[in-house]
Amino acid sequence: MGGNETAISAAGLSKSFGSFTALHGVDLEVHTGEVHGFLGPNGAGKSTTLRVLLGLLRADGGTVRVLGADPWHDVVSLHRRLAYVPGDVSLWPSMTGGEAIDLLGRLRGGLDTARRAELIERFELDPRKRGRQYSKGNRQKVAIVAALASHAELLLLDEPTSGLDPLMENVFQEELRRATADGATVLLSSHILSEVQSLADRVSIIRAGRVVRSGSLEELRGAARSTLHAVLASPPPRSALTALPDASLEGTRLSATVDSAGVGDVVASLNAYGLLELSVEPPSLESLFLSAYTEDEGGSAEAAS
Amino acid sequence: MNALVGTRTLWLASLRHDGRRFLPWVFLATLLPASSVLAYPAAFPDAASRQGLELAVKSNPALSLIFGPATDFGTADGFAVWRSLTVGGLLAGLGAIFAVVRCTRAQEDSGQAELLASGVVGRLARVCAGVAVGAACSLLVGLVAAVVTTAAGGNPATSFLLGATFTATGLLFTAVAVLAAQLGADAHTCTALAVGTLGALFLLRGALSTLEAPAWTVWLDPLGWVGETHPGDQNNPWPLLAVLALALAVLAVALVLQSRRDFGQGVLDPRPGPATGSIAGPFGLAARLSRTQLITWAIVALVLGVVLGYLAGSIRDLLGQDSMIQKILAAGATSQATLVSAFLVTILSILGLVLSIPGIWLLQRVRAEETSGRLETLLATPLSRLRYLGSQVALALLVSSVFLILGAALLAWLAASADVGADYWRTLGQAAAALPALWVVIGVAVAVVGALPRVTPLAWLGLLISFVLTLFGSTLNLPTWVLKLNPFEHVPTLGIQGLDGAGFGTLAGLTAVAALLVVLGLLGFRRRDIGS
Repeated sequence: MGGNETAISAAGLSKSFGSFTALHGVDLEVHTGEVHGFLGPNGAGKSTTLRVLLGLLRADGGTVRVLGADPWHDVVSLHRRLAYVPGDVSLWPSMTGGEAIDLLGRLRGGLDTARRAELIERFELDPRKRGRQYSKGNRQKVAIVAALASHAELLLLDEPTSGLDPLMENVFQEELRRATADGATVLLSSHILSEVQSLADRVSIIRAGRVVRSGSLEELRGAARSTLHAVLASPPPRSALTALPDASLEGTRLSATVDSAGVGDVVASLNAYGLLELSVEPPSLESLFLSAYTEDEGGSAEAAS
Repeated sequence: MNALVGTRTLWLASLRHDGRRFLPWVFLATLLPASSVLAYPAAFPDAASRQGLELAVKSNPALSLIFGPATDFGTADGFAVWRSLTVGGLLAGLGAIFAVVRCTRAQEDSGQAELLASGVVGRLARVCAGVAVGAACSLLVGLVAAVVTTAAGGNPATSFLLGATFTATGLLFTAVAVLAAQLGADAHTCTALAVGTLGALFLLRGALSTLEAPAWTVWLDPLGWVGETHPGDQNNPWPLLAVLALALAVLAVALVLQSRRDFGQGVLDPRPGPATGSIAGPFGLAARLSRTQLITWAIVALVLGVVLGYLAGSIRDLLGQDSMIQKILAAGATSQATLVSAFLVTILSILGLVLSIPGIWLLQRVRAEETSGRLETLLATPLSRLRYLGSQVALALLVSSVFLILGAALLAWLAASADVGADYWRTLGQAAAALPALWVVIGVAVAVVGALPRVTPLAWLGLLISFVLTLFGSTLNLPTWVLKLNPFEHVPTLGIQGLDGAGFGTLAGLTAVAALLVVLGLLGFRRRDIGS
């Protein structure tokens, strides 16, 4: 990968807090112009990784480049080019949302006032309320508006939609697509799988401080198995099912997982027993996510990117 | 009664949760009368010295503004009553207000109350639990103050009536706070309303007493009714009944409002703020966020300047005789002239120490911003860590320095106009000479907040050491090296010609120490993790 195509590249990032190790060598690569989903449950190390990328935390080991710069040393010049939405936005209790947006915008060197007005309108945010009066979702909107109104090259978003209602979640996805259409690169940390599935070009799954899966959704699906449900006219003998090691048969009802490449062969062989009903589901992000989390540490396979 | 179901449970939960927050108020309100009873005989051993004190107090209108008219200074009890009656009531009132707002309105804001209100809890239970918490705080303040003061040697009847005045004031402001909790739409507004009422009544009582208004005007202000008990003198408890009756009336209004308003709303709608902001940098942000506190501290600086200025003007009355006060204030002074000059150095040091508090508080806020996650949001913008902390340091140093000079200007003016041999410009110059010591105390806070964030309370260490050593160092016979830990100990005394070379050298040395501490803090802040 050339320097221009890679927005973020991290290799072997480790970070400990006292005796607790948050990151055990995180490898992460985000290409310029893509939306990169960063998946993992609470406590897996998503926020710690983002804070290292922001230069708020200094990694104990590993290398990291963000937009070609060192996030710890080149803070000011790097931060001119990125915007950040924290996972749990805390606002100044006595300042209004509008004041907070303008403060963050000015610190970033000015923001697009037309875009600001448009975003406030779209997110139905009342900018005249004080920080202490906002609900969690509205505090989140303040940070999102401040970030999206800045025309940053890189958006680092840490669970940006937690607390947003489904309508606002929709607005967020539309506005984020607009930002990427304008050329922004996005690192979207989330545990809302549907959001990542609809927005992300590529995905990294982090588990206990390590990235255990990384690649485009298609690549990850290719490595994973589809789920097959069939109702047959006559029950096949056990010997016919050796190709389906995890098959479960209840009367004439069959469920199994199949290698995505081998679906055709399996369907052909089942046809001999009279297929009455058939459904094949490609692996969902959820099943990818769950399999990454149910597999043993040693079994974690990393798809090439 | 159905409306009260659950009151007891809520009350006990609040006491368990917040009960220890009563302690500072109990402690302060007890310290005032108990320490007076203990220390007065030693500080003012004979009738002559007590008369001197009475004269000094009577010639200082600023003192009567705060403490009320001078009473009988012939006995330790009389002095304790004068020193504690108004201020103890103020403390009990503040404690009750914070306790009530915390367990009523603040819970409503945080959503805790919603959880409670959805349980088996009567409509009035939460507000009644608030009243019970405020009452518990008020009773505790009065009872502990009375028992400890009696144990310290105070007259039992006087001490218990004094304690009862604290409790009555606390109960009145429990009711006021409950009323405020119905009016304001959030905890911050409610506290401001209740504390504002208390402050206004306190100042009204002080002004009436200072201006020697006609006797009947005392009944205009419920805080004045409390004083009509005259503990130690007339021991008349009946005015307290009037205070309680007023408290019940206020409470009744509050309960009517409570049953009419919607959950989470107040009678007064919050005003919308500006939709756009003009703050562009960390300095402006720090100033904006601490606006209210800085205005409050400017007033404190002016009031202290007036009080200490009158004190300096009446130094002859106060220090005419050998007393412990003289030992504390003018250690090592041999003649009247050096006594006045040493006294001025000491009170300017005390002024500097008190006014270092807003500076240290501003730096402590950095840690609060960090733990709340707001600092992370700021530092994710092109704002460098050095520029952020540097702005906070600059504001802290500026604020404390300006307040010291402001207070000292008033002090110097009052002292110079009292003909005790204090020159206006020399006194002001003496205050300026105390600035480097003030910077060192603030520098300690910079170093702690910047480099040692896990032990942030140590930011107050410099102030604590200086305070103890300034007040008691000379009376405790401590070794010299311990005394020299206090930066204010090094402040040179201005002669008639101003400062000599050695004096300037000392100031340069103190400034260098302060600068070193600031640099340590800034470097530490640049190197460490943020938000952990």
